[in-house]
Amino acid sequence: MAEIAGTMTGSQLEFARRVDAISTNQRALDQFLRGVERRALRMAELACGSRDDALDVVQDAMCAFVRNYAAKPEADWAPLFHRVLDSRLNDFHRRRTVRSRWLAVFDRKSDDDDALDPIEQAQDTQDPGPLLRLAGSEAGKALDAALKALPLRQRQAFLLRMWEGFDVATTAQVMQCSEGSVKTHLSRALAALRRALEDHQ
Amino acid sequence: MNDIHSNDRPAWINQANQVLDDSVRDLDAATLSRLNRARQAALAQQRPRASRAWLLPAGLASACAMLLAVAVWQPRHRTETQSTAPIATGTIATIDDGDSEETSAEFYQNLEFYAWLDAQNKGGDG
Repeated sequence: MAEIAGTMTGSQLEFARRVDAISTNQRALDQFLRGVERRALRMAELACGSRDDALDVVQDAMCAFVRNYAAKPEADWAPLFHRVLDSRLNDFHRRRTVRSRWLAVFDRKSDDDDALDPIEQAQDTQDPGPLLRLAGSEAGKALDAALKALPLRQRQAFLLRMWEGFDVATTAQVMQCSEGSVKTHLSRALAALRRALEDHQ
Repeated sequence: MNDIHSNDRPAWINQANQVLDDSVRDLDAATLSRLNRARQAALAQQRPRASRAWLLPAGLASACAMLLAVAVWQPRHRTETQSTAPIATGTIATIDDGDSEETSAEFYQNLEFYAWLDAQNKGGDG
């Protein structure tokens, strides 16, 4: 009986330790996600062109990150989260490209149809959006427009290297490409942004 | 993180970073609320996963218990099926035995008649 009581106490202790570890991990995850969610939303908004789509992408990335990488060391969380987010943004971009191709076909077929104009229905990616309306500066608007005009990979290279501060190797890991590709994307992004922002320097 | 190389960068990149930081800081309440809900939804996924870890051993234990039950039940069932046949044969045998006993009792009761019949046959032959 004493042995059984000892085993029960041991298993209860183990259970309590496990519950404690999970809650500690949850607190750390919560803190980490709080730290990255706003920047992630900004990145997603620049890529998606709409706040709602960006929120969906960020939530999807958070869920996938917690599901797959919560047990990884905390030091690896930032690159892993951005890798998941980058992957979700690529998926979104691919879906939108396919959709726009279909819309183009539909547009060509219904040239005489005046009831619905798909171009009018499509989202305006040049719209500065509420974020920069809040910022309210001309420089902010110009930067927003310039970033939105960049191709996805160039924009991601710029944001990850220059804004998030990842080194070339980590950025390459996040974007799942070679370090040379990161340097090329970044160099092109910097040149395009410099041209677009010349008036505001 | 973004202060690592900030001194080596052109000024316009630092300004761009500043503009981006400002835009992130001034998010409206509705967006912050949706971000909070998204975060909570993501974190909630982790809770069932911890309890789900018990499902595999529990499922294995149930499967083992069922296999054991089937393994124990089947030989017994087979023994019972096999033992039914001898019982039936035995019953038939018992019935046969009963018939032979009745026959022999009847035989002993009429023994005098059979002896007389035998004597008559012998007298007839001679």
